[in-house]
Amino acid sequence: MLPETRFAIATIGLLAISMAQAQANENQLELQQNPDLWATQLGNYQGHRYSELDQITRENVEQLQPEWQFSTGVLRGHEGGPLYVGDGRLYIHTPFPNKVFALDLEDEGRIIWSYEPDQDFRVIPVMCCDTVNRGLAYADGKLFLGQADNTLIALDAESGELLWDANNGDHTIGESNTMSPLVVHDKVIMGISGGEFGIRGHMTAYNVETGEREWRGYSNGPDDEVLIDPETTLMMGEPIGESDLGVTTWPEGEWERGGGAPWGWVTYDPELDLIYYGTGNPGTWNPEQRTVDGEPADNKWAITVFARDPNNGEVKWVYQKVPFDEWDYDGVNENQLIDVEIDGEQRKGLAIIDRTGFGFLLDRETGELLVAEKYAAETNWASHYDMETGRPVVNEEFSTYTQGVDVNTADICPTAMGAKNMQPSSYSPDTGLIYAGINRICMNYEPFETNYVAGQPYVGATLTMMPAPVEEEGGMEGRMGSFIAWDPVKGEVVWEVDERFAVWSGALTTAGNVAFYGTLEGHIKAVDIETGEELWRFKTPSGIIGNINTFRHNGKQYIGVLSGVGGWAGIGLAAGLENPEDGLGAVSAFSGLDEYTKLGGILTVFALPDSST
Amino acid sequence: MSNKQSRSKHIGILSIAVLALSITTASADDQNADNQAPSEQQASQEPGSFIVKDGKVDPNTYQGYLTYTRHCQACHGPDAMGSSFAPNLATAAERRSFEEIATTIAGGLQIQPGRVMPSFAEDPSVISNIGNIYSYLKARASGELGRGRPKVIEGMQNEEEG
Repeated sequence: MLPETRFAIATIGLLAISMAQAQANENQLELQQNPDLWATQLGNYQGHRYSELDQITRENVEQLQPEWQFSTGVLRGHEGGPLYVGDGRLYIHTPFPNKVFALDLEDEGRIIWSYEPDQDFRVIPVMCCDTVNRGLAYADGKLFLGQADNTLIALDAESGELLWDANNGDHTIGESNTMSPLVVHDKVIMGISGGEFGIRGHMTAYNVETGEREWRGYSNGPDDEVLIDPETTLMMGEPIGESDLGVTTWPEGEWERGGGAPWGWVTYDPELDLIYYGTGNPGTWNPEQRTVDGEPADNKWAITVFARDPNNGEVKWVYQKVPFDEWDYDGVNENQLIDVEIDGEQRKGLAIIDRTGFGFLLDRETGELLVAEKYAAETNWASHYDMETGRPVVNEEFSTYTQGVDVNTADICPTAMGAKNMQPSSYSPDTGLIYAGINRICMNYEPFETNYVAGQPYVGATLTMMPAPVEEEGGMEGRMGSFIAWDPVKGEVVWEVDERFAVWSGALTTAGNVAFYGTLEGHIKAVDIETGEELWRFKTPSGIIGNINTFRHNGKQYIGVLSGVGGWAGIGLAAGLENPEDGLGAVSAFSGLDEYTKLGGILTVFALPDSST
Repeated sequence: MSNKQSRSKHIGILSIAVLALSITTASADDQNADNQAPSEQQASQEPGSFIVKDGKVDPNTYQGYLTYTRHCQACHGPDAMGSSFAPNLATAAERRSFEEIATTIAGGLQIQPGRVMPSFAEDPSVISNIGNIYSYLKARASGELGRGRPKVIEGMQNEEEG
């Protein structure tokens, strides 16, 4: 059926619309269920980043070698990764200026077509943490990309021609796009960045065929704009009850610049027909300016997991991970949808390796909290979560609100970067474990009074960072990152491997019993999925903050990864961190990233030598 | 801040005009600071001058640290040491005059498409502190001031200006 025909039918009646929806949905579902393909950034709707391919195994991975490399010609941080939808091409993207390339997999990456939007560079200064982009989405012969300047575009995957564009935000008030859209039914779902500029976060659905806006749900404000019904929307398994908490839990009008930017990954459960995502930090980082009548206030719905109906945006349930944030624990980390057994009972779970240093497990039907345990041992801002209320029990010593404005609260773990940032984890159904690159960094945090000016940073805290203390036996002194295997049900780290720098790349696991990740120095590494033992490594030309993806073409399994150091890691770690043991003026004991890697976007594609397959 | 109203809101201003404006603003601010501070602060009247004693600094250099951390660090990294994409400003301050640094802060830079430094001409908290930022950078460049948040030398505290 031609796209034009489908559009014409869809406008006739409801039945036709629902048929068209089912078709678009089926296309992405069908692609992601084919193990040969990598059709969506997280591998599947559930966010597993797991592949059933098993040509590359723990036994032969040491023979893995680069087949070809491709320079994107763009500097700055390259997040996201290549898509493979079975047409013999890899589709990749770049940070600003957001080029898109279709590369011929059968001809060493020859460029079949490329696309470069013409966009207003004045958006660059409002991108807090580098001009990153987390990648393309695909469905029904179309590629979707959120340009930095807030234009959401659809390209014809065959030709690279622009099919439509839609406006998703306004850079003059600090909004920008960095996230990868997700296609669900006949909708492209897209969030927004700008949490450091006092924006008001939103998640929006656009029509796949036309780019027309279908619904928008805000992160804060009145219920009818958040799309909450206090009688039916659940919180900790019960209806919220009170109305407009997105207004009343803020000082007068502060919700309008209340942040809650959802800029991370969106996951989707096709059976429950719900999308899941987390919202970012609440407005200014100075908690004093978010109190109500001089008392801490929840600042809803910042740092909250939302479960929404993708058809109309209605909120099924919410879980606020950090009410009244005092540390910038931006709650956008991905929600992995995993089916688990707890106390002999099958549960539809939702797992988060969260910014806060806690690993959460929720019931994804109701939003009830099932598990909350520390995956980063140094985590000290809260002692634990109260499982009845779902709220953290904050350690007063590390409460930047209790310590006060213009007071430097020292040695808070983790840092505002989070014990894990945007780097997406992997879940292996074979082991039942989650594999994640994490950050081992702590901070000093000093809130200060700040004024809101549209389009200017609205931060209100200064912070300095240092490597986390090494608490586990045999840990690497001065290490700033680890790669861990996490049991989401027991809430335990099964094994961890230390790295010199934060591990800022997305992980991959495969049926070949291998886990892959990248390092900020530029290594791609393969480790034994059961022990973490290193099996293979290759030094790519620049640090890796992209995700490692895998696919099969003409019988051969490939591994693809974008290098290109940058992102917040490239800002915070370039010169190295302070050693808290050193006095002022002492030379830092900890190495700077700058000594290991420089800018440059490169795609590297690996495979086993023909003789071994 | 009394000099706010003199700030122009027009975007299309020539950078030379912005520079002139910013220097006026900065020096006016220095005079204000001078009126409030004891005589020991004389040394930090000139943009780029600073006092470091036992890791502590004069109030203007401290104000420069705060302004840097709030507005510059997001690209130029903690403690002026650079990021993966933006240069180390302590090193830059060794080579560049106050006029050059002030021109860049006020007018911005486009090095190549996609490599852009924004203009801070419309941000009073930056523009009124260019001289202080320069003092902080010079203090870092000298090697006398280490990393992190310095304290103000006792007896030199002046009134905080948010």
